Amino acid sequence: MKRLFRLSLGERGVRRDVASEIQFHIEMRTRELIEAGVDPSAAREQAIATFGDVGAIEAECRSETRQRVRTATWREVGDSIVQDVRYAARTLARTPGFTITVLVTLALGIGANSAVFSMVNGLLLKHPPYANSDRMVVLQRPVASLSVADVGFAAPEVADFRSQTPSLDGVAEYHSMSFDLLGHGEPRRVQTGVVSSGFFDLLGVKPLLGRTFARGEDQTGAVPVLVLSYAFWVNQLGADSSIIGKTFTMNDRQHTVIGVLPPLPNYPDQNDVWMPISSCPFRSSARMTTMRSMRMLSLFARTKPGATITDVRSDLATVGARLHAQFRDDYKGIPDEKVSATPITSAMSEGAAPSVLLLFGIAGLVLLIACANVAHLTMARHLRRQREMAIRSALGAGRRRVLRQLLTESVLLSLAGGLLGLALAGPGISAIAHIVARLTARGNEIALDWRVVGFTLALSVATGVFFGVLPALTDGRDLVTRLRDGGATTAGGGKLRARSALVIGEVALASVVLVGAGLMIRSFAHLLRVDTGYDPQNVVTAHVDLNWTKYNNGQVVRNFANAFIDRLHASSGVTAVAVANEFPASSSSPQNQLLFSIRGRPAPDSARMPHAELNYVSPEYFRTIGVPVLSGRSFTADDRDTASVVVVVSRSLAERYFPGANAVGKQITTASQGTTLTIVGVVGDVREFGPAADVPEQIYEPFNALSVRDIRVLVRSRGSAGAMMNRIRDVVHELDAEQPVIEVRTLAQARDEVIAAPRLITLLLGLFGAVALIIAAAGLGGVMAYSVGQRLQEFGIRVALGADRSSILRLVVGQGVRLVVAGLLIGAFAARGVDQLMSKVLVGAEGGEALTYAAVALVFVAVAVVACLAPARRATAVDPVTAFKAS
Amino acid sequence: MAGSDLFVGTLDVLILKAVSWGPIHGYGIGRWIRQTTRDALQVQEGALYPALHRLERKGLLEEEWGVSETGREAKYYRLTTAGRGELRAAVTRWRDYAHAVTLALDTTGR
Repeated sequence: MKRLFRLSLGERGVRRDVASEIQFHIEMRTRELIEAGVDPSAAREQAIATFGDVGAIEAECRSETRQRVRTATWREVGDSIVQDVRYAARTLARTPGFTITVLVTLALGIGANSAVFSMVNGLLLKHPPYANSDRMVVLQRPVASLSVADVGFAAPEVADFRSQTPSLDGVAEYHSMSFDLLGHGEPRRVQTGVVSSGFFDLLGVKPLLGRTFARGEDQTGAVPVLVLSYAFWVNQLGADSSIIGKTFTMNDRQHTVIGVLPPLPNYPDQNDVWMPISSCPFRSSARMTTMRSMRMLSLFARTKPGATITDVRSDLATVGARLHAQFRDDYKGIPDEKVSATPITSAMSEGAAPSVLLLFGIAGLVLLIACANVAHLTMARHLRRQREMAIRSALGAGRRRVLRQLLTESVLLSLAGGLLGLALAGPGISAIAHIVARLTARGNEIALDWRVVGFTLALSVATGVFFGVLPALTDGRDLVTRLRDGGATTAGGGKLRARSALVIGEVALASVVLVGAGLMIRSFAHLLRVDTGYDPQNVVTAHVDLNWTKYNNGQVVRNFANAFIDRLHASSGVTAVAVANEFPASSSSPQNQLLFSIRGRPAPDSARMPHAELNYVSPEYFRTIGVPVLSGRSFTADDRDTASVVVVVSRSLAERYFPGANAVGKQITTASQGTTLTIVGVVGDVREFGPAADVPEQIYEPFNALSVRDIRVLVRSRGSAGAMMNRIRDVVHELDAEQPVIEVRTLAQARDEVIAAPRLITLLLGLFGAVALIIAAAGLGGVMAYSVGQRLQEFGIRVALGADRSSILRLVVGQGVRLVVAGLLIGAFAARGVDQLMSKVLVGAEGGEALTYAAVALVFVAVAVVACLAPARRATAVDPVTAFKAS
Repeated sequence: MAGSDLFVGTLDVLILKAVSWGPIHGYGIGRWIRQTTRDALQVQEGALYPALHRLERKGLLEEEWGVSETGREAKYYRLTTAGRGELRAAVTRWRDYAHAVTLALDTTGR
């Protein structure tokens, strides 16, 4: 009659027990008093009186009991979890083959997702480290007819946008230039962000040290000040904490350091230092401050609380139209009135989102494949453990208890797999961050942080529950019933169907992943093969951005450029030398568009005016980069008379505007200044913006016509690239010991860098494809092995009836191939969607989906045959006698 | 309210002692305390129960439901291993304390 454990007492139980205990006391006491001679009618009252305040005492007892029950319940739950985990670990350790296979599969599946999630997190999810990032917008002036995303704003316009946009509560301007910084050791060339004084306050950036720019510090005549970027302060100044108040010389003026910024994204550019617009000699020049056609500024604005992006856009449209109407002449070159506003968060992740989301989706598919595989490995394991499970059930473990045990095992496995995956993903994440940092502003925010760890753990648990529950659901019948039935043969039929379905699903998913990888690889291979129109072999290039103050007129720049060309020509092995403002693949978008009309033809309205990318190149440019001169000539050293400038045009431009005629000798007129340009030569087309971009129409002017300070030098030589790089540095330093030389690389490297993003996506998709294929093949092999094991007896009968080995081989392989074909057919439907999703990521290659799909199908069938071989061999080796005996 | 006349912890020791001979219900413990101390300790009987429940929560006592001598279902307490250890320690503490106080009170003059 004794009840020993009452751990799972509810509140009602607690009340009942306490009341019963105290009632018992009072009854016993009453009885004792009556026996001692107290009048029975008064005894109970006396008993209660000696007891005290029954209600209060009961309440106190209940609270103690409640606490005890609660602690005990938690302890019991904890104990049973520990017990389950211990048991699970022991069980898993007994089957190392299964455990290791599952761990590796899950580590690959989960690790891929952790790595990709670090990109999703760093580039898309995290808020940029600006306090006001949700209210910040980037203003741009896109000119669709020139295919330019932003032509920039002119200084006088800043005031217009500030005063005429009621939906904005602040507009800051920005541009970036490089200057020489003197003082504190070596002279350095620093990239300098030039901003109006409210820039950092608008963004909501608080300085790490000192302060940011104060109101009025951007006014003409203000004392020049500098704010340092975190990276520059740490890497170049050794994180000197006493830097505030120290001075540097820039542009022949003393600049005082007033602050150091916290680590920020490389946005809008990777700047070393920041100065107010009053400190920038270029921005302060009379031309810049007054001319509306000098567009070089970027504008950042903060929306007023309550104002929407739509309000901002309508304000901007009004201002844009007003400016075009008011200053007609100044906007001749830009036919579009449109001024766009983009939230800063999307501007910062621009371009990255489609690729990152595609990778995320594909990684998810890889994990699904891994889950399916682990699920049918688990099913096979459950089948082997039926006896153990039945015994546990017989010993009193309910179905729920057994399920919980199985779930504990799968979650334990998936957590271990997830941690392993995280260990795999760790180095991958830093490699990805390293590459992506060069591609987008926020690449440096990709890191293995707590969000990535949290995501991985959550994904691991979800994975464990998924592949733990899946087999349990397909079990269908009670385990005890199954044991009673005894045979694996009866249970096997349904099992095999479930497992075949899983394999078909795996193949379908894997084929989708492989089609994605295949399309990407095809498209990237196409990029590598595409005819770029120039010969990047044996050419070394460097960036020489001449010092603003020292090279302040065209003649000085020309002297430097000519001396450089002459000296390098004298070097051994050099076959051609050129200077230019740009070269193929030095940037991935149009930099300098020229609007023009053809002389002798009526000028079209400005929206349909011909335009071309304008480059300034020295005479040997085409020979240096291997572009053929198709007719006419290249420039000569004498082409420097700016009054009647000669130009060379690309073939596609010549064919478009002078079809069937020789363009040489024809003349064009620039839209902006009305200069007449005479075409003296036609050269081959070049993929100026990298292999992924279309061939632009191009116009080349002699380098001497503008004498840009920001020079790219190009040298073709027979010697080694390394020696030539040193020679370039030496020659520049012979001419100007203080002149920095940057971005020294081969022309081939420049081309590779411009396609670094598709290369990374191709690499990752290729990896995911390989992992998917391996996992699916392993799954198929497993199911075939299982199926052959089930049918050994049947094969025995067939052999006994005279079937030859090859027919049995065909039977087994045929079964495997049928599964794969079923999967491929389902995958074919899904792959169409992938193709759609990838349209934004694919570069160049048009069509070929069917071919890619056929290739994937072929690979899969081949893999299926290989995966079936081992089980098939076992089937053909069956000895009829043993097969019968075994049953 | 509970045992205001008692030195702190005295009731706990007495309970542990009462339980030390085997399972016993709350009423039995109270009766034992009354009888062995010859009613010298003025304890309101109800005060016993919160103390019992507290000791149970601390893991010094455990419960067991059984049938009493009157045929009614009753809650019995018995010592846990921890309870037995605590009783031993408490008895030692009490004796040392009593001895010290006795020594002091028995001293004659300074």
